[in-house]
Amino acid sequence: MEEIKYIEPSALRNEMLRLRNEAKMDFLESLTGMDWGVPAEDDAPGTVRGLGIVYHLESTETHERVAVKTSTLDREHPELPTVSDIWKTAKINEREVYDFYGIIFVGHTDMRRIYLRNDWVGYPLRKDDDPEKENPLRMDNEETVDETTEIELSADGTIKNKKDIIFDDEEYVVNIGPQHPATHGVLRFRVSLEGETIKKIDPILGYIHRGIEKMNESLTYPQTLALTDRLDYLSAMQNRHALCMCIEKAMGIEISERAQYIRTIMDELQRLDSHLLYYGCLAMDLGALTAFFYAFRDREKILDIFEETCGGRLIINYNMIGGVQADIHPNFVKRVKDFIKYLRGVIHEYHDIFTGNIIAQNRMKGVGVLSKEDVISYGATGGTGRASGWHCDVRKRMPYAMYDKVNFKEIIYTEGDSFARYMVRMDEIMESMNIIEQLIDNIPEGEYKVKTKPIIKVPEGQYYQAVEASRGEFGVFLESHGDKYPYRLHYRSTGLPLADIVDTACRGEKIADLITVGGTLDYVVPDIDR
Amino acid sequence: MKNEHNTYLGLVFGAIKTLLIGMKTSIKVYFRKKVTEQYPENRKELKMFDRFRGTLTMPHNENNEHHCIACGLCETACPNDTIKVISKNIETEDGKKKRILDRYEYNLGSCIFCMLCVNACPHDAITFDQDFEHAVFDKSKLILKLNHEGSKVEEKKKEQ
Amino acid sequence: MFDFSIVTNWVHSTLTSVMPEGWAVFIECVVIAVWIITLYALLAIALIYMERKVCGFFQCRLGPNRVGKWGCFQVFADVLKMLTKEIFNPKNADQFLYNLAPFLVIIASFLTFSCLPINKGASILDFNVGVFFLLAASSIGVLGILLAGWGSNNKYSLIGAMRSGAQIVSYELSAGLSIMTAVVLTGTMSFSGIIEYQADGWLIFKGHIPAIIAFLTYLVAGNAECNRGPFDLPEAESELTAGYHTEYSGMHFGFFYLAEYLNMFIIAAVAATIFLGGWMPLHIGGLDGFNAVMDFIPGFVWYFAKAFFVVFLLMWIKWTFPRLRIDQLLSFEWKYLMPLCMANLLLMTLMVVFGLHF
Repeated sequence: MEEIKYIEPSALRNEMLRLRNEAKMDFLESLTGMDWGVPAEDDAPGTVRGLGIVYHLESTETHERVAVKTSTLDREHPELPTVSDIWKTAKINEREVYDFYGIIFVGHTDMRRIYLRNDWVGYPLRKDDDPEKENPLRMDNEETVDETTEIELSADGTIKNKKDIIFDDEEYVVNIGPQHPATHGVLRFRVSLEGETIKKIDPILGYIHRGIEKMNESLTYPQTLALTDRLDYLSAMQNRHALCMCIEKAMGIEISERAQYIRTIMDELQRLDSHLLYYGCLAMDLGALTAFFYAFRDREKILDIFEETCGGRLIINYNMIGGVQADIHPNFVKRVKDFIKYLRGVIHEYHDIFTGNIIAQNRMKGVGVLSKEDVISYGATGGTGRASGWHCDVRKRMPYAMYDKVNFKEIIYTEGDSFARYMVRMDEIMESMNIIEQLIDNIPEGEYKVKTKPIIKVPEGQYYQAVEASRGEFGVFLESHGDKYPYRLHYRSTGLPLADIVDTACRGEKIADLITVGGTLDYVVPDIDR
Repeated sequence: MKNEHNTYLGLVFGAIKTLLIGMKTSIKVYFRKKVTEQYPENRKELKMFDRFRGTLTMPHNENNEHHCIACGLCETACPNDTIKVISKNIETEDGKKKRILDRYEYNLGSCIFCMLCVNACPHDAITFDQDFEHAVFDKSKLILKLNHEGSKVEEKKKEQ
Repeated sequence: MFDFSIVTNWVHSTLTSVMPEGWAVFIECVVIAVWIITLYALLAIALIYMERKVCGFFQCRLGPNRVGKWGCFQVFADVLKMLTKEIFNPKNADQFLYNLAPFLVIIASFLTFSCLPINKGASILDFNVGVFFLLAASSIGVLGILLAGWGSNNKYSLIGAMRSGAQIVSYELSAGLSIMTAVVLTGTMSFSGIIEYQADGWLIFKGHIPAIIAFLTYLVAGNAECNRGPFDLPEAESELTAGYHTEYSGMHFGFFYLAEYLNMFIIAAVAATIFLGGWMPLHIGGLDGFNAVMDFIPGFVWYFAKAFFVVFLLMWIKWTFPRLRIDQLLSFEWKYLMPLCMANLLLMTLMVVFGLHF
């Protein structure tokens, strides 16, 4: 359980500015909307009620962490001050909160729904909302709106809604996605072009929004685990690891060292799997279809390893509260070692056919440059952040499982361009193999799973746990009220900042660079939409 | 980057070299063994791993007996309402009332293969088999009845 | 070496003996047209099959292997499918231009295809400015592509067409200059003349350094001209889905598809004709026995073997390299390839003047 400081909405802006400027809290890790209900008679003093936000902040210099919350009791017109001018990532996160809770952020420049349709009635994550009542299955197409609302605060304290135009009629707007070979899923960009040069990009999300956070509120803890694999399917192991750790932390369960070893190895195998796919998809996006098949040929071997031990390939369902689903298969150690030996043997072919290739280099070098300030402000963690020189590896920042006991380098590049982002991933492949090799021979004997009660109830409190997923920091924020169902389970999406930062990375580049930038940022859409 | 790459000609020759390295790699792989799996033809050799989760099944022994006591734990454990345990009350020979399994319905179409039902079962009555060929032409065929016709619960052996 | 003109002359004389010459020429024209179309279709099928297999092998796959033994009927099945598919017109498209475009592309392809001398005496169009005609006819295709992009009322198509226009116009220069290099050496612009010149040695041997450079630059420029990877920007799949032919279906799409493959073949065949001796067999000076055996192999076999060798080379390139970006593509042409071609032309001219070639 962590302490979350409550701040009145009226004092929020000043406090946030103080935290940003004086305490150097430059990384807004997570922004979670909450519905704490209406005040009741038997509330203990100090109980926070109403619609609110939980902010998790971190300083990238001192690694100090702080959590702040605020709330308003007004349910008709809930208004809270925006922090989107302090941290750029808040802009898209506040849109998400607006979409789910109807909280209007004063000073926000783009108050549109983000996941749900524009004609959606109600705010589904409010506890008193019944989404199914007023929202029948609509068979008509959603109109694309070119207008957005800016919530302006005038000097006398009144709020004015100002209409803003996203794209005007004069602009040449090309629609990329949701069905497009290079958006890696059902992501949609509206791109305004000047010839082949990009003027502005507006990402439109929500095509695979499944309301997982809402579903979680009516699922028991073991059942919520079944959904994490479906967020970022290329970090299935790590996602589930995060949720398991969060619940274990909350319940005070110590898991055995054997399970820790297995989880770490599996996380790294998953990272290998993801980075191989990354290599392949990027190569395919740039037109080198053969390299794509090399990566898939080798990724298949990892999936076989997963399948043998875990029973699944993509949706793995391996980590469990208290350990893992099953002990490692007798063949596991040998298979993993063989695979690493094999991959070390063929990885130079990847570089020969693609990395070194002059065309690939020209396509990636200097394209989509992101500054360190931008990646921190947007919260673009993972390979994207590390390519811009930000030491953002959760495995180093907040070590978990076995990561404080193994030797590995945090790969840092400082160029911030697509090639750096690509090279971070390629180097991490080597580093992951390195980690696995250190662990694979020393898996200690012991239980793979500690016994848990048949019905899992998490003690009251708020918990946050982050892991380094394949493409960045994946966080789980859990608020429990002591039931067998979570009161609120929010996932800090790794991909949301990445989709958000595309506009910054691509302005002034060519349309073909959008594909490169999208490929190197490496977002996975189900993780963005959740 | 070496210095020579900065000159016009150095750049050109460097570029040609990288292109040739790429071509060398691809032609090497051209003559390597192919990895295509010829699926329907290799059905005989294609063996799934024993932990692979194909279809939920209820193993029956040679006397057509299973282990399910119709407690419904699997049904509550399922996140997707895939399982329906329909039980009936019968009277045993010695006059006691007893609840036994009538119909174990499993909807393959909504199963997410999360293993929670198998974990929840206290009697190991259900398990996943390796059958992955799930495609059918009619959605109703996805609703499977797991207990065999006329099957019954395996009686526990009297403790000696 | 078997001379095919014996057959054609015999046919002509037989026909003129039973009917007036006008009728004879008319019948011959019809027969030749049917022959071109058949050969065109058969070659397209062979090429598509080859592309799929070769691409599969480069990618650790087997390629098509379901329809017939080794999937050899796969392409026939696809052609059948394409023929039966509906041809539709998108809303607000310019109907006339939209429907005209695929025909322009295929006609340009047919015209260039007719220039290819397949065997001794078996060239359909052969006159003193054959090379010039080939270059002119092949550039009609870009008109079709531009119209397709404009007429489809689709933004992807339009971007694809614009890219294609810029690309083909640029790279035609390099392709033309490379061929000019050969013309300087051979001193003739007719294909039969160029081939006759190579009777005692292929051009890349006779013209050594500049000829080899011209051969390579021609392959690069030709590859770009027929919009194939790594220059497949006009239809860059991961950017523009299918580029200028996004909105086409059925046989209209089929025309683009056929033309694309045949253009690749034409590029390869022209390269084989000009630089690799066309239907001339491989002769090595001094080895008379070997040369006699080589002469025994008919000319059209030599011709297709050389052309398909170059086709394989082009596929190898396509399935290895990533795609360029439009500005890189153009700067590559104007900053690197064109200057190289011009310098090469100069080098060849000097060589011819001073007689430094074999």
